[in-house]
Amino acid sequence: MAHTLVNFSGHQHLRHRLVLAILTGKHIRIDKIRSEDKNPGLRDFEISLLRLLEKITNGTIIEISVTGTSILLKPGIIFGGALQHDCPKSRSIGYFLEPIIMLAPFAKRPVQLTLKGITTDDHDLSADLLRTVTLPHLQLFGISNGLELRIKKRGAPPEGGGEVQFLCPIVKQLKTLNFVDPGKVKRIRGIAHAVRVNPQFSNRMIEASRSILNRYIPDIYLYSDVYKGDESGKSPGYALSLLAESTTSVIHCAEAVSEPGVAPEDIGLKATRQLLAEVNKGGCVDRKHQTLVLMFMVLGSEDVGRCRMGEPTPRTIQFLRDVQTFFGTSFKIVALPGCSQLLYSCYGTGYVNANRTLA
Amino acid sequence: AQKSTSLSRKAWLKDWTKLIYSTNLTPEEIIGDKREEDQEEDDKMEMDEDDFFKIKKTSSDNAEELDMSNDPVDPEELKKWEDEDMLESIRHLFITGGDVDAEQG
Repeated sequence: MAHTLVNFSGHQHLRHRLVLAILTGKHIRIDKIRSEDKNPGLRDFEISLLRLLEKITNGTIIEISVTGTSILLKPGIIFGGALQHDCPKSRSIGYFLEPIIMLAPFAKRPVQLTLKGITTDDHDLSADLLRTVTLPHLQLFGISNGLELRIKKRGAPPEGGGEVQFLCPIVKQLKTLNFVDPGKVKRIRGIAHAVRVNPQFSNRMIEASRSILNRYIPDIYLYSDVYKGDESGKSPGYALSLLAESTTSVIHCAEAVSEPGVAPEDIGLKATRQLLAEVNKGGCVDRKHQTLVLMFMVLGSEDVGRCRMGEPTPRTIQFLRDVQTFFGTSFKIVALPGCSQLLYSCYGTGYVNANRTLA
Repeated sequence: AQKSTSLSRKAWLKDWTKLIYSTNLTPEEIIGDKREEDQEEDDKMEMDEDDFFKIKKTSSDNAEELDMSNDPVDPEELKKWEDEDMLESIRHLFITGGDVDAEQG
C-alpha cells in the first residue's frame, strides 16, 4: 500500500505535526531542523519526545539523520497501556503530555503513563493546569470516565524530580462540539504550592490574590497544596495556578511561577492579574487550549462543530494549515458582531478509533 | 489599552478564513496585519512579540523559537489591572455583576 509522505522543514511546530502524522497514519519527513544553527539538529527534549511517541505506539519507525537535522517518521498504531518516561530537565512534563493528550483517547488500550521531570515551569502548561483545566476540556468531547492526572511528586526547575501519572480512557468516537455561550464566571479556584521553601509562601500568594479577587464573587477557594520530603522534588520553587469557571463550564486559567528576587505576594498578584486579563478576553476556550480543542473538533463525528474563541495565536494559525494538509479539513472562521471574538466551525471527519479492541 | 482596542477593531474586518488558507503570509504576519500596514506596523509588531525572544524579521526560520503553549506575558497588559476602574470594568462578566446593559449604561 502506498503511503502518503508529508514534508516539512524547520523545527517549529514539531509536536502537532507529529501528532497529526500519527493520527492520520501518514508518513512525515521534516528537514532543515536548525541546519543553520551553531548547534544544529534536534534538541534533547525533541529526541525524548520522539522516544515517548515510539513507546506509546506500536510499529512506529523513526529515522534520524546522522546530523540530526532531518527525521522521517512512519507511524504505527497508537497502542497505549502502562508506560513510563523520564523527561529531560530542559522542558517540563507539560511539553510531553500535551501531544500525548491528543493521542491517548485513540489508543488500543487505556493509557497509564508515568512521567518524571519538572512539573511546573513558565514555558508549558503545568501539571496543575493540565489537571484542572486541560482535562475538563476533554469532557466536552465525551472523554471522561477514568480520566485523571495524579501529581505524585512535585519538581521545580532546574533539577525537577517530580512525578505525575496520566490515566486516559479510550473512546470510539468524539462528540461534536457546540460551545458558543461563554456564560458568566461563577467560581474561582486556585492551587498554591511551595516546595523546598518556607511553606508560608503559599499563604502569602493566596492572600495577595484574594485582595483582588474578593470583590467579584464569594465562591473563591484557593488551596495551599503541601508536598513534603521526597514528594517535593529536588529544587526550590513555588507557583500559583488560578482558574475561573463560568455558568456554562468555560474555564479560563492563569499561572505565575516563582522568580528569583520576586516576593510571593508579587507572584500571587501576577497570576491574579493574568486571570482577569483572560476573563476579560472572553470566549469559550483560552489561547493555551486553542489547538487541543480545534484538533478534537476536526476528529469529531460527521456534523458541524462550533466554538467561540479569541483570535488565533501564530501557533494556532500554523496548526490550522497543517490540519488542512493532513486531514483536508478547513475551518470557517467568522467574526462575531460587537466583540473581538471569532466563531470557528468545521465539519468533523468522523474519526473512528480503529485501534480499539472490539468488545 | 488603546492599542488593544484598535487591534480588536481590526480583527473585526479581517477575513481570517481567507488569510489562513489562501495566502502565504506567515502566522506572525497575519496577526500583525502586515499586508495592509507594511511599514508603520513593523516597529510596533516587534514590540508586541519580543517579550520573550527576538524574532529576526527576515529569517524567522532560523531563530530559536520554542515550541511552547504558554504565551509570554505582556507586562503592560498586567499593569492595566492595577487600576481600580479597570477592575470594575469586568464586573459584568461575573455572575454577581448584574446585566451587561445595566452595567455599561
